Amino acid sequence: MSTGTPPLPNPPAKPQVKSLHCPQCGAAITLRSFQQAVTVVCESCHSVLDARDPTLKILQQFQAATGELAPIVPLGTRGKLRGTDYEVIGFQRRSIESDGVRYDWHEYLLFNPYKGFRYLSEYQGHWNDITVCKDLPILRTGLVPSANYLGEVYRHFQTAEATTGYVIGEFPWQVRVGERATVTDYVHPPRVLSCEQGSGETTWSVGEYTYPQEIWKAFNLPGQPPEPIGVFENQPAPATVSLRQAWLAFLLLTVFLLGLMAFNDMVASKEPVFSANYQLAPGAPKGEASFVTDVFELKGRTSNVEIKTAANVSNSWIYLNYALINQDTGKAWDFGREVSYYSGRDSDGSWTEGSRSDTVIVPSVPPGHYYLRIEPEADARHPQISYSVLIRRDVPVFKFYGYALLALFLPVLYVTFKSISFERARWSESDHPILQTESD
Amino acid sequence: MFSPLYLLYGFFVLGCVGMAEYRGWSMDAMNEVKNVPRSIRDNPGAYRGIYSSYHHYTGGK
Amino acid sequence: MTQPIANCPNCGAKIVFQWSSSVQTVCTYCKSILVRTDIDLKKVGQVADLPPDSSPIQLNTEGIYRNKAFAVAGRILYEYEQGGWNEWHIVMNDGASAWLSDAQDEYAISFAFPDQILPAATQIEVGQQCTWNNQTFTVTVITQAHYKGVEGELPFQYWDKTDVTFVDLRSQTGKFATLDYSDEQPALYLGEFVEFDDLKLKNLRQFEGWS
Repeated sequence: MSTGTPPLPNPPAKPQVKSLHCPQCGAAITLRSFQQAVTVVCESCHSVLDARDPTLKILQQFQAATGELAPIVPLGTRGKLRGTDYEVIGFQRRSIESDGVRYDWHEYLLFNPYKGFRYLSEYQGHWNDITVCKDLPILRTGLVPSANYLGEVYRHFQTAEATTGYVIGEFPWQVRVGERATVTDYVHPPRVLSCEQGSGETTWSVGEYTYPQEIWKAFNLPGQPPEPIGVFENQPAPATVSLRQAWLAFLLLTVFLLGLMAFNDMVASKEPVFSANYQLAPGAPKGEASFVTDVFELKGRTSNVEIKTAANVSNSWIYLNYALINQDTGKAWDFGREVSYYSGRDSDGSWTEGSRSDTVIVPSVPPGHYYLRIEPEADARHPQISYSVLIRRDVPVFKFYGYALLALFLPVLYVTFKSISFERARWSESDHPILQTESD
Repeated sequence: MFSPLYLLYGFFVLGCVGMAEYRGWSMDAMNEVKNVPRSIRDNPGAYRGIYSSYHHYTGGK
Repeated sequence: MTQPIANCPNCGAKIVFQWSSSVQTVCTYCKSILVRTDIDLKKVGQVADLPPDSSPIQLNTEGIYRNKAFAVAGRILYEYEQGGWNEWHIVMNDGASAWLSDAQDEYAISFAFPDQILPAATQIEVGQQCTWNNQTFTVTVITQAHYKGVEGELPFQYWDKTDVTFVDLRSQTGKFATLDYSDEQPALYLGEFVEFDDLKLKNLRQFEGWS
């Protein structure tokens, strides 16, 4: 830069915030957007004024409904969004009507003299941070129309006609109460693509879902933000893990589980340590029915003992009082097992109940010399029953794998269910609800 | 990546199963008795188990 | 890098052309529009006071575009139904002229793209597609604007235009094009939208109440 530049005779003045008076009621009007305002609305008398006219010509006047709520973020408030300070300079209430019900939402116009304009929209406690699109989305028609914007596919959510019901502040375009525009929303949570068609112009804007706490923090608003109601169109799903990841993790764990099971089956010794056949004559003369088996050895580490009882019962039962006794330590496991089997025919066909064998697992039996004390009982009405007892050492318990699979499955099921019901709630407000409530 | 909490939980479940299988746990109803004398081998009738596991008639139809 | 110095033919004030590519400048004292010929400066018109505007850019604002530094040398101000915008004449550090357009705080940088076949103003309509430089553009807006004034140094002669038609086109890759029908021969500019932050502008205008 040279030193030869002649000094400017009158350096340009800093652009000033303009203070004017409403031609209708005289109230003070402040223009905060440095020449960019096209329309400004008087807060006192709700006259819509031409901001580019030095006399502030009155374009429209509207009656505000009694008890109209003041904007949650008052005009003139400054806040920091995405690292930039913005000032709230305009506010609108707009609504759509669906099935005779009016749904209102609010739009805030934010301004920064260097960065331009930004918008905040608020509906039932849900906030969105919106800017005008620079690129044009690519539209695709079909069963569910979509729009491709910056590499993301947005699904059509809703097309509706929006009416402006209330306006205050200043805007860089024409606003009138009662004006209508067709608004089409496409969603790709957490973003929403909105197409607004009105008065010969089409504008695309993209919004990002913003949690109320962030708005409160950005604008230093007092108190706590109101709790959002329902699920909003582009509200991100609360689960921090995608369903796909959850199911993949489940699959991975199941593979490990199956591997563990196979390994277990291979490595468990399943060693038969005792086998014998017995007869029981129920009508036998009174005597001591209990007896003890020969001693057998349980080897290896502390593990389980499987005792399988098989009996050729038919419409009968046999009950065995077992005691597995350690010959040396005197420790015993005491339990009773029943083997019963019934069958017959009735109006529905043939049926069976029970089983001709029973298996029990005695837990954590230390190695050593053991014997069984057996006291059998049977249905006195039935003839002699033969039964066998087979003892195996260190068998895999497959039941545990079943429970483990359930334990792995339940969280994934829960997360899936929550996600489905969340998405159902999201789409229930759209033009494409997931479940038609009229059917069945 | 994968939810670390779920994977942690999953491997914990696997660990429990592994432990259960290794230590030989079981879910069957069992009563433990101590100090069964050696004389039972000669006199099985003298053995008295825990009376809570009493037998009962479960005849069918 | 000599900087030509001359005197304003109207009021005698010292005129300095900071950029060798400049053809026209405005005398800051008497607001005469001066055109540079081989021998001297010629007054061709007068600039009325520019309407107040809200651009944060001013003459001698500096910035960076695609790793090349530039400085703001001059501007053309336009107004249309929805408001106004500026076309800032910027000079890159390699001497090339470019344009930084600034409309409602949306910024774009474009370069003149000569020697193309361009449709006439009457033949163009919204939604139409044109292809230049191996890119397809779709017409988005046709604007009837009024020239409102000039300031600083420009690379061509430009003043006192009556209604001017501008046609904006956008591509699906963020590029944009403008057809300028101010002269008999339409002119094409190709460029892209830029973010304010990416330009790293220095020496901006100060606004009351904003740091």
